[in-house]
Amino acid sequence: MKIAVCVKQTIDTEAVITLDADGQVVTDGAALIIDPYAEFAVEKAVQLKEANGGEVVVVTVGTQDDVPAIRHALSMGADRAILIEDANIDTTNPLAKARILAAVLEAEQPDIIMGGYKSGDTGQAQTLPRVAAIMGIPQVGWITGLELEGETALVDHELDDGVERVSVALPALFTAQQGLAEPRYPTVRDIMQSKKKPIDTKDLAAIGIDPSLVGPAAAQVVVKSYALKPEREGGRIVEGDVPDAVAETAGLLASEAKVL
Amino acid sequence: MQEATRELYWNIPSHWFMYVLFVGVVVCFAIFFYRRYRLWKLGAPEELSDHKSERFFGAFKEVFTQKRVVRKKSSGIMHLFIFWGMLFLLVATTLVALQDHFGIPILYGDFYLYFISLGIDLAGLVCIVGVIIALVRRAAKINSNLETNTADIVWLALLLVILLSGFATEGLRIVGTNDPWAIWSPVGYVFALMFSGMSPEALSLTHQIIWWGHLVLAFAFLAFFTYSKMAHVLFIPGNYYYRSLKPAGTLEPIDFEDEELETMGVRTLEEYTWKDLLDAQACIKCGRCQENCPAYLSGKELSPMRFIQNMAAQNLERGKILLKVPEDARTEEQQTLLEEGVVGTVISEEALWQCTTCRSCSEECPARVVHPEKDIKARTYQVCMESAFPPEAQQTFRNLETNGNPWGIGWQKRTEWTKDLDVPTIEENPNAEYLYWPGCSGAYDARSRKVSTAFVQLMKQAGVDFAILGNAEKCCGDSARRLGNEYVYYMLAQENIETLKQAGVKKIVTQCPHCLQALSVDYPQMGGNFEVLHHSELLAQLIAEGKLKAGSCEYAQVTYHDSCYLGRYHGQYDAPRNVLKQGAGAQLVEMERNESKSFCCGAGGGHMWLEEPQGTKINDMRAEQALQTKADALVTACPFCLTMLTDGVAAHDSQMPVKDLAEVLAEAQFE
Repeated sequence: MKIAVCVKQTIDTEAVITLDADGQVVTDGAALIIDPYAEFAVEKAVQLKEANGGEVVVVTVGTQDDVPAIRHALSMGADRAILIEDANIDTTNPLAKARILAAVLEAEQPDIIMGGYKSGDTGQAQTLPRVAAIMGIPQVGWITGLELEGETALVDHELDDGVERVSVALPALFTAQQGLAEPRYPTVRDIMQSKKKPIDTKDLAAIGIDPSLVGPAAAQVVVKSYALKPEREGGRIVEGDVPDAVAETAGLLASEAKVL
Repeated sequence: MQEATRELYWNIPSHWFMYVLFVGVVVCFAIFFYRRYRLWKLGAPEELSDHKSERFFGAFKEVFTQKRVVRKKSSGIMHLFIFWGMLFLLVATTLVALQDHFGIPILYGDFYLYFISLGIDLAGLVCIVGVIIALVRRAAKINSNLETNTADIVWLALLLVILLSGFATEGLRIVGTNDPWAIWSPVGYVFALMFSGMSPEALSLTHQIIWWGHLVLAFAFLAFFTYSKMAHVLFIPGNYYYRSLKPAGTLEPIDFEDEELETMGVRTLEEYTWKDLLDAQACIKCGRCQENCPAYLSGKELSPMRFIQNMAAQNLERGKILLKVPEDARTEEQQTLLEEGVVGTVISEEALWQCTTCRSCSEECPARVVHPEKDIKARTYQVCMESAFPPEAQQTFRNLETNGNPWGIGWQKRTEWTKDLDVPTIEENPNAEYLYWPGCSGAYDARSRKVSTAFVQLMKQAGVDFAILGNAEKCCGDSARRLGNEYVYYMLAQENIETLKQAGVKKIVTQCPHCLQALSVDYPQMGGNFEVLHHSELLAQLIAEGKLKAGSCEYAQVTYHDSCYLGRYHGQYDAPRNVLKQGAGAQLVEMERNESKSFCCGAGGGHMWLEEPQGTKINDMRAEQALQTKADALVTACPFCLTMLTDGVAAHDSQMPVKDLAEVLAEAQFE
């Protein structure tokens, strides 16, 4: 059983986000972590490997700066990693990344492909479903459970009002939602050993992709500008006798806040 | 009148035979001692052969003053009686042997009367009193922390019989020789009265029987004492000699740059050092370690005494295989036993995580056994090698790794507390005399930020030239290290040391005693040598120098809670009290458990970040002790204590304010 997990590195959810003069998010000095959703997927993949044997391969599209996230996945128990690094890649474009991942995964032929259903930073939730589409394999998103029965996977797919159990023939792609698995805390031994595990860095030529397919020109969606979340303003305290105050609050909710 | 003396070995013509027996005694003693020696030598190496004279004189003083034993008055005095009584008797016996064997005239004249007759009689009496107190204490179970088994009673009874038979032989000799100086041996004289009517033949026979009985029992004691807990007579002085000369709470550093590094912390018993195992052998299970142990007293599973006793028992059990059965001849069962780690055999997984590293056990231990470090060594293995620790610690570890603070708040938010204050960073004031280290609590915790603010105001008032590191400061790593996460500690410490060195920092003032411990004791192991002091020390200094005037705070009486890491770890009990008395004009009312006997708030050893599922809440217990003083405020000098005691006081529905001494001082100065 071979499981591939697509991993992204993101800015820590607690980080203070600032924009530079060009309106781009400043990543210099920001605390970077393995994307929390990808981490759920890595944990589940490692658990499946521990139970059934096989191999877990981490795949990342990015740069050497993303190596800490890859090492973290390796320290959790993944066996090796593939990093596709090329200056021609527009890493903000999910389609470009999906094309690259699909090419790598076609070559790897894993039984299961996993990753986060979205990333903790840009949160577009585009890349992995596109990978499945390009590869022509089934995919189930937002999964909170995964069991194997021979060549079939039984997965729990989270819905707005419940959970749907889906039976899928492998190979297939699954995207992780919180609850799929509780990520382990790697031991120092694991961390040390992860430094000896191979990270195979490839460029576009090595995986046979035309740079024009993954460059900025290929983008179908363009981010025009980023804006910071407005500072939270202080609440309003309605004073007076309880019946009056309640009536006034209800009025405000209807007229000003327009939530009633 | 004839010179005072007595006939040695009266009525014992063949007393030379005792030397034959004595050879047997020495052989037994040596065999049992060697067996013990081999057991503790199973431990890992530890270099303690330095500072020989300092070690010797320190140990000598502690042995002969019995300083650590009399720390507890009741049992201490009992032990003092037995110790000094026995010592005198030993000296007298040696002198008798010297005179008899080498013909040196010693037992004559005034020396004989005052020392050998009167002195030794009284010493024997004192010793008997001590042994009787010891027997009664055990039989009547006066101390619930004192475990008593048959062997304890047998040894005491044996001592008593030896002492009484000694006096009986003396009494018989007095009668038999019609000793003119009998009155100089008052206890012997009383015994003599009992034998006064006996016929000479009966007297001679009785004397010979009791004399030989006394000798055989005393020799049996000497032969077998290294086999029993009586070996403490040798092992505790040995433990004093091999005491750590390093600051309290020193943990052995792990070098993560070392490529050969294979394991961390302690898994199997023999990974503890020989000194750890000697500690276990020196333990006489007096139970004093439990008497102020927050985990034990709050009804948790951990008993520091059990932990150490189990170490000794396992040492013996495993030693039987390791020392006697060659590796290829061991049965499967023996192999399995040797494979077992200390967690589960010496200490349960629950108990391992219950120690708050408050150090009260080691402070109270008359044998100088060091407990918390042994616990932390096992935690280090559990965390670094097995990833087995209370699940709630995982988030703390990740937070420390990502944002350098236990809450995981963005590292760029560290200086937010200075927003409305004018606090220079080290870039802005590169030549500052003091680098102020607010620590994670002082920077992030809403409650402790008020303490930082008060301390900054005080430093400004006193004209202290200071600066902060700003966002470059990271958690000191104390919690991580004492939770066994040596790796996260190492990374944090390395970064902090680098930052501090680059900023050219020499003097640091912390407001958290845990930061104080990390920066002053842990960091020098990694090349970070700074002069570190606690804010209570700087404030006391500023008051003494007149840079802060004496004020008067709103509280008539305050009670001060000694933080474990400021008190027992750093021995600082006076500075915080001086700040309150002289600076804030407060009257101090002490809790029953104070200074070196202070009771932990429950947050040390990383417990700030753990749940407390078993037993009573430790902070509730300490809050209750504070409430009993009826003081107007509870003052502390540690952000962890502040949080724990605030919660504890609230749990008792009390309105008693809980404050840091900097806040109390600032209020007294500025209002």
